[in-house]
Amino acid sequence: MARLSLVPKDREFFRLFDEAGTNILRAAQLLDQLMKSWPEAGGLGRDILICEQEGDRITHDIIHRLNSTSVTPIDREDIFALASGLDDIVDFTEEAADFMGLYNIEAPMEQALQLTRVLEDSCRNIAQALERLRGFQDLNHYLVEVNRLENEGDRITREALASLFSGGIDPMVVIRWKDIFDRLEHAIDATEKVANILEGIVVKHT
Amino acid sequence: MEPLESVPVGTPDQTSPSAAPAAARVAIIDSDSGFVRVLVKRVGAVGWQSHVLSSAPPVEEVQALRQHAVVIDPAMLGPEAWTYLGRLCAASPSQAVVVCTGPTSVAQRVRGLRLGVDDWVTKPCHPEEVLARVEAALRARQIAAAGSEEAEPTVAGELEIRPEMFEAFVGGRPLGLTRREFELLQLLASSAARVIPRERIYERVWGYHMAHGDRSVDVFVRKLRRKLEAASPGWQYVHTHFGVGYRFDAQETADAGEEPPAGSASLPPA
Repeated sequence: MARLSLVPKDREFFRLFDEAGTNILRAAQLLDQLMKSWPEAGGLGRDILICEQEGDRITHDIIHRLNSTSVTPIDREDIFALASGLDDIVDFTEEAADFMGLYNIEAPMEQALQLTRVLEDSCRNIAQALERLRGFQDLNHYLVEVNRLENEGDRITREALASLFSGGIDPMVVIRWKDIFDRLEHAIDATEKVANILEGIVVKHT
Repeated sequence: MEPLESVPVGTPDQTSPSAAPAAARVAIIDSDSGFVRVLVKRVGAVGWQSHVLSSAPPVEEVQALRQHAVVIDPAMLGPEAWTYLGRLCAASPSQAVVVCTGPTSVAQRVRGLRLGVDDWVTKPCHPEEVLARVEAALRARQIAAAGSEEAEPTVAGELEIRPEMFEAFVGGRPLGLTRREFELLQLLASSAARVIPRERIYERVWGYHMAHGDRSVDVFVRKLRRKLEAASPGWQYVHTHFGVGYRFDAQETADAGEEPPAGSASLPPA
């Protein structure tokens, strides 16, 4: 049963988290498109950079609001952790896209395409969970799915690294792709961290 | 005979051979780390790339590295030395092989040279001499290649592939291929309508094993097709065999004109 509160709480946080959810999903969708049509769609990297800047702006707005609000609808440390976690997702997504251009990647790897699909699915689940954060209800399905997707991402990354170190592979290919797989894995791990934070918030409010 | 004039080893004249490739790749298969270190330094000083192997890998792996020359000490191979040398020389006729090993008999050196080794240097030796012998072997191969049929243009459909120019033409107009696109086209066209697996294409064009999941071959085939379609819209040259690889076969597409261009010789359909 939801607790009654006599103190008005700032609902603007929920709108900002919705915005952050939409932003991480857009960044992940753009990265997936970029990977699918690389090297022709290299220009999408600019759009992902804009998402990263938008993520910084949203995080700043949340923290600014946190510092100027006396009563918050969620615990302060949870708001701060959630904002930081969402920012990490878009940061790692942007880094992966940036490395594709920086390392002069000639063509995508099949495992990278699988990882960007996992990241996109994971971000969609996070965005949908954030939409339901106001009521602190019906988030569980999305959070379980994010955890499942993170396991899937781990499996793909392990296979990708094994293929890079199978012997006789161009060392430059190994160096470049190891870094990119690393960033993609970090981005997917960051979605799991956000899911864990959301789970903690839901437990406190039910 | 007059004694030869003494010249200091390592002077610029000696390290800048005019007829040798500007950026040759040399594999050094030798477990003598001290000798390898100084040789690598010399190879780097003339702007070449070296690939050091402290143990002899399978011949197919050496071939996949696509080096211009191999410097090898067969002593590390033990009783397999002659078999290995023979296979190494036969595997890639365009690759120079220079043996650099300890004292040997005349019979051993003759046997090695008859197996196809380009030159034989006896240790202890100066790395500059080894380098000069590699240069000489590469020069000899360049001269031989210039007159060989490898340099002959290949004509298929409207396409003319000219290896000596690293370019392909349609109606005398160049396609503007990059080096990699050209090597891919030449490899496919030289395989006479056979399907070449992706892994094999990667090994031949990129010079390394293909990592599982690498889409480089597909991306470069896509780029090549785009250029071919723009220059020769009535023809299809590169055919996909899903899950396997690619095949080159010049075929007129259905909407193209019935008469092929005069003087063209297309390959028969599969």
